[in-house]
Amino acid sequence: MQRLTQAGMTRRSMLKGSAYTALGTLAAPGILHAQTTELVIGCAGSHTAWMEQIVVPHMKDAIGADILFEGTKSSVNLEKMSSNKDAPYLSVVQMDDPVMIQAVEADLLTPITSGPVPNMSDLRPDAVHMDGMWCNYVQPWAGVAYNTDFKSGGVASWEDLWAPEARGQLIIPSLQNTEGMWTLFMSAMLGSGKPFSEAQYEIDAAFEKLEELKPNLLSVYTTMSQAFNLLEQAEITMLAGNFSSYTLPRKATGVPVDLAAPSEGIFAMPSGICLVKGGPNAELAEAYVNEMLGPDMQAAIADFATSVPANTTVSAGAIIPDGVPIYAPDWAFVAANRRAWIERFDKLMAI
Amino acid sequence: MTGRAERIGLLALPGLSFLAVIYALPLFMLLLKSVQIDGQFSFAEYVAFFSDSYNLSVLWRTLRVALLTTGLALIIAYPTAIIMARAKGFWLSVFLVAMVLPMSVGVVVKAFAWTILFRTRGVLNDTLMSLGITDAPIRMLFTETALIIGAANVFLPFMVLPIYAVLRQMDSRLPEAAASLGATPVFRFMNVTFPLSLPGVVAGCAFTFSLAISMYVIPSLIVGERQQTLSMLTARSFLYLRNEALGATISSILLLIAISVVLTSSWAANRLGARQ
Repeated sequence: MQRLTQAGMTRRSMLKGSAYTALGTLAAPGILHAQTTELVIGCAGSHTAWMEQIVVPHMKDAIGADILFEGTKSSVNLEKMSSNKDAPYLSVVQMDDPVMIQAVEADLLTPITSGPVPNMSDLRPDAVHMDGMWCNYVQPWAGVAYNTDFKSGGVASWEDLWAPEARGQLIIPSLQNTEGMWTLFMSAMLGSGKPFSEAQYEIDAAFEKLEELKPNLLSVYTTMSQAFNLLEQAEITMLAGNFSSYTLPRKATGVPVDLAAPSEGIFAMPSGICLVKGGPNAELAEAYVNEMLGPDMQAAIADFATSVPANTTVSAGAIIPDGVPIYAPDWAFVAANRRAWIERFDKLMAI
Repeated sequence: MTGRAERIGLLALPGLSFLAVIYALPLFMLLLKSVQIDGQFSFAEYVAFFSDSYNLSVLWRTLRVALLTTGLALIIAYPTAIIMARAKGFWLSVFLVAMVLPMSVGVVVKAFAWTILFRTRGVLNDTLMSLGITDAPIRMLFTETALIIGAANVFLPFMVLPIYAVLRQMDSRLPEAAASLGATPVFRFMNVTFPLSLPGVVAGCAFTFSLAISMYVIPSLIVGERQQTLSMLTARSFLYLRNEALGATISSILLLIAISVVLTSSWAANRLGARQ
C-alpha cells in the first residue's frame, strides 16, 4: 500500500517527478544547443561590438546562421579549444597569429580550402598561413593611443613613453595580450639600436629597456577595455600598443583620444580566422568563413573597425599612416618563446 | 541511529552525491595533477614554486591582503551588527535589505565601481580636496590600500550577517544583569557581549578570509597585473603559460590554506561554544 502525502501525491510519484526535473535541468542546455543553424564563434573581446552589430545580422541573412559569440582573449580561446578537443563546441575561432601557431601545433585546426571557401582565392597571399590553416581577415594597425586633451601634441616617438613627464601616466599591455609584443619589440629596437628585422630577436636588450619604463607605468593590463577607459577619463595620457580597430572608432564618437603612428614605426595586428577541427556544423562554419572573407563583410568590417581588408577586391577601411614603417614580426619566434617572456615580464614589472 | 533516522538520512544522499561529483572529485583530480609529472608521482612543482622568490612574494601579498581585508571588514562589521541586532521592525528590514541587496550585484560591477571612485579625478579625491584634507589628488587606484578597501566592502555582508545572527540570539538580559552589578559599558562589552559573539566573529572571519584569499576579479581590476595574487597566478598558469601542473599546484596551495582556515575556525567555534 502506498502512503499518500498531504497533497495526495505518492512518495514514488514525487521521487519520479524530482528525477524528471533533474534530468530535464541537466539536458536543457544540450537540447537548446541542438539547433542546426547555431554557430558558436570564439573571438576577441574587443571585437564584440562590431561582431554583434555587423556580423550577426549579415550571417542570418546570407547563410541563415544564428551566431553566438564568445568574446575573450586569444589565449583563452586556445585553452577552450584545447580543453574541448574531444568534443569541440566552437566551430570557428578568430584570434591572433602567434596563438594560431600554437593551435596548429596542438592539432586543433582543420585547413580552410578554396572549394567550400571560394573567397579565399581573393585574399592577399600573405593573409593565408600554413597552407590554409588560418587566414587573416582584417589587419588593424597598432601604435600609441593618447588622450588629446592632455597630450595635444600627439606621440611623435616611441621614446615619449620613457620621457620624465610621462611619470605615472602610462599603461602598457601584458605580454599575455598579443598587442603587448609591440612595446617589447619597440624596446628591443630602441635598446639595441638595430633595425626591426634584427632587433626583434634582441630580447635581453628589450627587457633592459623595459625596466627603464617602470617609473612611468601606472599599470600593466590584460583587460584592454578597462585600460582604455582610464585613457578616456585622463587617468593616464598614453596607452601603448593600441590599435586602429579600437581607438579610431572611439575617436569617431567624439571621445578625446587618438592613435599616434610614432616615427620609429607601427605594427600590423594579425587578426586571423580558423576552422576548429571536428567543430559542430562544419558546412555552416565554412560558409561563415567564406562570408567573412567575402567583399561585403570585408568592406563593412574594414570600415567599422578602421582596418585594412585582406580581400584584394575591396577598397575600404583604414588608411595606413604615410612615412612610417609598418612591421610584422616573426610569429614563430614569438610562439616558441612567449611563455618564458610572460614569466620574465611579470617578474620584471612587479611592484 | 534508529531505522527511521537512517531512512531520513538518505534524503541527504542526492545532495552529498552532487557535492561528491561536482566538487570533491574535481578537487581530488586537481590535487592529483599537482603531484603528477609525466605520469610519475612528484612534488617537483611544489619545490619549484617555493624555490622562486617571486612566487613567495605573491603568496605573502595574497595572505597579507586577505588578513587586512578580514581585519577591516571586522572593524566595520561589528558595530553594524550590534546596531542591527538592536534594531526592530522597519529599521531592521532596512538594514537587512542594505546588507543583502548589494550581494545581488555582480562582483565585476562592484569592483569596477571602486575603480571609478579611486581615480585621481574621482569622487574620493574631489571630496578630500574640497574638505581641505589634501591639496592635490593622491594616487589611490592600483594601490594595495585601494584593494583592501574595495575587497572589504564587497565581502562586508559575509562578516556582518554571522555576527548579527549570534548577537540577535544573545539573551539581552545578560548585559543588563552585569550593569545591575555595577559593570561599566566597556566592561560589559569586553566581558559579556564580545565573548558571547565570538562564534559569529570566527564564522565571519572564516567566510571573509576564504573569499579574500581566493578573489580574482577584484585585484585584477583594482591593482592590475603588477601586484599579482595566487588566483591571478593560477589563471596565468592555465590560460597563458598552459602549465597545468603549476596551475594545479597553486590552486592546491590556495585550497590547503582555505581548508586550514575552515578547520581552525571550526575548532575555535567549538571551543568557544563549549566555554559558554
